[in-house]
Amino acid sequence: MSVPTKTLSALMPGDVSDEHAKRALLAEIDASCRVPLLFFFVSALGWLLVGTLLALVTSIKMHHPAFLAECPWLTFGRVRPAHLNAVIFGWASQTGIGVTLWLMCRLCRVPFIAPGLATVAALFWNLGLTIGIVGILAGDSTSIEWLELPRYATPILFLSYALIAVWGVITFRLRRERHLYVSQWYLLAALLWFPWLYATAQILLVLEPVRGVVQGAVNWWFAHNVLGLWFTPIGLAAIYYFIPKVIGRPIHSYYLSVIGFWSLALFYNWNGLHHLIGGPLPAWMITVSIVASVMMLIPVITVAINHHVTMRGHFGKMRHSPTLRFVVIGAMCYTLTSLQGVANSFRGISEVVHFTHHTIAHAHLGVYGFFTMVMFGSMYYILPRITGREWPSLGLISLHFWACTIGLVVFVGPLTLGGIIQGFGMNDASKPFIDVVTGTLPYLKLRTVGGLLLGLGHVAFVANLVWLLCRVFGPYRAPVIALIKGNESTAAVGK
Amino acid sequence: MALPGLILLAGVLAVPLAALWALRWASSRGELGHGDRAALLPFDEEEPVGQSTDQILNRPAKP
Repeated sequence: MSVPTKTLSALMPGDVSDEHAKRALLAEIDASCRVPLLFFFVSALGWLLVGTLLALVTSIKMHHPAFLAECPWLTFGRVRPAHLNAVIFGWASQTGIGVTLWLMCRLCRVPFIAPGLATVAALFWNLGLTIGIVGILAGDSTSIEWLELPRYATPILFLSYALIAVWGVITFRLRRERHLYVSQWYLLAALLWFPWLYATAQILLVLEPVRGVVQGAVNWWFAHNVLGLWFTPIGLAAIYYFIPKVIGRPIHSYYLSVIGFWSLALFYNWNGLHHLIGGPLPAWMITVSIVASVMMLIPVITVAINHHVTMRGHFGKMRHSPTLRFVVIGAMCYTLTSLQGVANSFRGISEVVHFTHHTIAHAHLGVYGFFTMVMFGSMYYILPRITGREWPSLGLISLHFWACTIGLVVFVGPLTLGGIIQGFGMNDASKPFIDVVTGTLPYLKLRTVGGLLLGLGHVAFVANLVWLLCRVFGPYRAPVIALIKGNESTAAVGK
Repeated sequence: MALPGLILLAGVLAVPLAALWALRWASSRGELGHGDRAALLPFDEEEPVGQSTDQILNRPAKP
């Protein structure tokens, strides 16, 4: 279904209509994405706020265990998985799907196909997730990490996801541009990998559970691959698109980006079992996983070099572009968390940091520092285009950026250090366990402070979005073209 | 090997095998040989190379 080109033009009177006419195809694509993407983004942000609140309750309980302990629905064992699933499936997956849909339309040069179907899929996704989160808080969790949603909720999510994946494949088949950009490789792969991972894990752990140590192997295979084969490809696809678009310069080396994609596709799948070092698994399985983890240096370094060299000479533009600020910080965090992951896969290091808060810091550096920051940047770029309105408050954008960036540092930095100290303490047989536990309290309190800052940033972002949406239904304020197409770049065109 | 083991093995092998198949498909279609052209795909006549976008923060005040 195509949307008339004049959909946005009708919102823009006067002299901007001529300028807008030049953007006919992009405007048609952007306008066609409006309803489903707004549904995905708004509901994702709703889940982000819910997830943040649950995270703060969880974090406070870590240093004040009696906090809200009298209510069974808010005990640690329920709130913590509710936070995880709200953030992973409510925020990260939904905003990732929204960005995927927009990028696919833009790069395939086709308007959004059947936006009504995608909106229904989004509706079912949120329905299934709401049932699942309430189920977890009510005590129906499966108790399997990353798969805590009760079995009566997951079929709804899977049905919804199937609709989205089919949409992605159809859009790809109907593309007007024959050649593929590297972002499309990542997005297509993510759309196909996720259902395979989710279905396999559901069968082996929830529907027909395997026994013994195989449970641990499947669990870590799934949980690690959700990060590496679902969120990572979407995040990298967005980085490869938005950095060149904002600075007006193609990616430094397309061939490096291709190497990065194919090496991720070949090696990442084997990584998860390095989390079971020391566990009762065959040694060869762990060794294969460690080797594959080291092989991940290839995609990580190629991606890091490519992004850095592309940005060289353009870092000053981060001062003016909210998209570039968030995306570049996210790209840096991708490199950091990936190198940290490789290091953690070594037996000697894993013996210290595993079962400590270091792992929590590592996971948040990946899911928040990398993926969430890139998604924030992507939404700053996409939302003005699909709504035809510029962001109403630049102050709220700055507050969002600085609160999240400082909050991330306050959260991840101390927790990483505290986890290492905790690990050495737990490996010291002469040290009483309670001393190790109480020694982590300062780091846990700092984590709560970091979480509060992140929450402040989220509220600022949501307030700005609500303000923007009020403008969509209000009188016309500003020509969006004048704001989104800023200074002419003087940069040389890259290779 | 029991059925769960086979499913797990298939799950682990499927991703790299599918990747190898996709790599062969991409190679046969010439997708790996047009890097210079592919790098320009985010751009078009309406948003060309050389033009920055999204420059909305810290702009000089209008006179």
